[in-house]
Amino acid sequence: MKRFVASVVTAAVLLFGGLAQETLGQSSPSRNLKGSTAVSAPVSVSLPMKEGSVRFAVIGDTGTGTKKQQEVADMMVRYKSAFPFEFVLMMGDNLYNGESAEDYKTKFEDVYRTLLDDNVKFYATLGNHDESNQRFYKYFNMNGEEYYRFTKGNVAFYSLNSNYMDKKQLKWLENELAKDTAQWKIAFFHHPPYSSGGKHGSDTALREVVEPLFLKYGVNAVFAGHEHFYERIKPQKGIYYFISGAGGKLRDGDVKENSPLTAKGFDKDMSFMILEVAGDELHFQVISRTGETVDSGVLVNQRKAKAMGASK
Amino acid sequence: MRQQKDHKTIFAIATAALISLALSAVSAVSCEAQTPQATPQVSARHKQAIATFEQRVKEYVALREGLEDKLPKLAEDSKPEQIEAHKVSFQNTVRTARAGAKQGDLFVPEIAAYIRLTIADEFKGRERQELRKKVLVEADTKAVALRVNYPYPESEELLDMPPTLLLRLPQLPKQVKYRLVGKNLLLVDRENGLIVDYMLNAVP
Repeated sequence: MKRFVASVVTAAVLLFGGLAQETLGQSSPSRNLKGSTAVSAPVSVSLPMKEGSVRFAVIGDTGTGTKKQQEVADMMVRYKSAFPFEFVLMMGDNLYNGESAEDYKTKFEDVYRTLLDDNVKFYATLGNHDESNQRFYKYFNMNGEEYYRFTKGNVAFYSLNSNYMDKKQLKWLENELAKDTAQWKIAFFHHPPYSSGGKHGSDTALREVVEPLFLKYGVNAVFAGHEHFYERIKPQKGIYYFISGAGGKLRDGDVKENSPLTAKGFDKDMSFMILEVAGDELHFQVISRTGETVDSGVLVNQRKAKAMGASK
Repeated sequence: MRQQKDHKTIFAIATAALISLALSAVSAVSCEAQTPQATPQVSARHKQAIATFEQRVKEYVALREGLEDKLPKLAEDSKPEQIEAHKVSFQNTVRTARAGAKQGDLFVPEIAAYIRLTIADEFKGRERQELRKKVLVEADTKAVALRVNYPYPESEELLDMPPTLLLRLPQLPKQVKYRLVGKNLLLVDRENGLIVDYMLNAVP
């Protein structure tokens, strides 16, 4: 029934958009450097839209105020009609080159106005172009903190400040994780612990201090930005890592060829992610600025996967 | 569509199998994995330098807290105009109160020497080359003027502080932070963005 409803919604979007259906589901673990050539691909959601699921989007490195950032935002609006996500995780670099009141307006509020008016909540993390005072901004929902936790359904989200991972923050993270009983634990922050980026690459110093905690307390998935492309990393020590840092900037061709880390890379256009946590499954779909689905798939909660492995 | 579903199912199963394999390896790894701890071998002379530095930082924090208390408090759901106005007022009031502040007031030679040693020890060999590449090449901080009581420009990049180094440097209260700009180390107020003090050539 749900699948039928989803199909109807998709069909309605296609009908009103006057667009043709296109094949979806590019979950093969390969590198995709094909450019987005379509002017505007049809909206087509590959997520299951199960009842009671947690639905959200991910954007990163957005704050440019450019036409292309707006085009990504517009595509998010189109996808929200078919996949009504409730909130958006922001991977940092929320405001480039200045943080005046005007910057907040032109690089965030104006760009995402439709989503804001539709009561979509944004949860930000700080990037290396962001000032600490963003934590007081009402639309970033940081509650005055540089790092914070919130929950949605069976998912606990941890927004960390990877600009400044000091002893206090690590202690806070450990304390919170130690008592966390959520089925899914998802961390997001700006600098990627694993990356195939030519300009930056993996932040190994950060990885050295956070990964042991992620492993010890069962963090399932990690989202980061900083690199201006999309990359799905092959699971590292059992943890799923994603980079989604092309919401407002693109570093064309920056994913290293033949990187052993890459499960899927897309560096030929800007992009965003939509995700759905349904029970033990994390479904994801990655959409380019022009509406092309560049990656999609489903990941199983590690505890479930372990149980499945043990039962065989 | 059917084909897509099949692909997804295969992908999910394959992922599950891979993960279960990975997890068995991880369980061994995670038992050994621990947050790196600072391994300080601090001399009495350096302990004194750290204590003096921490005391001076505390004095700065007490001053700025007193000044901020007199300003309208920023709410957790502030508008951009309120954030901007608060920052400017805060900068002005601190700048006035510290009109005579100069480079080296907090980073006195003794603590500066200790910090240089700590950074040099933290970054050796290949890692030092990576750090130098990061601070000198990768990070775009050339436009940051090193002037006490002036703001770190909000339009400039903030280089992330290497976490392993942060664990070894003297700990700071939450109101201030270390920042690297080129080879120099800054002490910056977290909220008003003013450069409280800086030391040159911190990175070898």
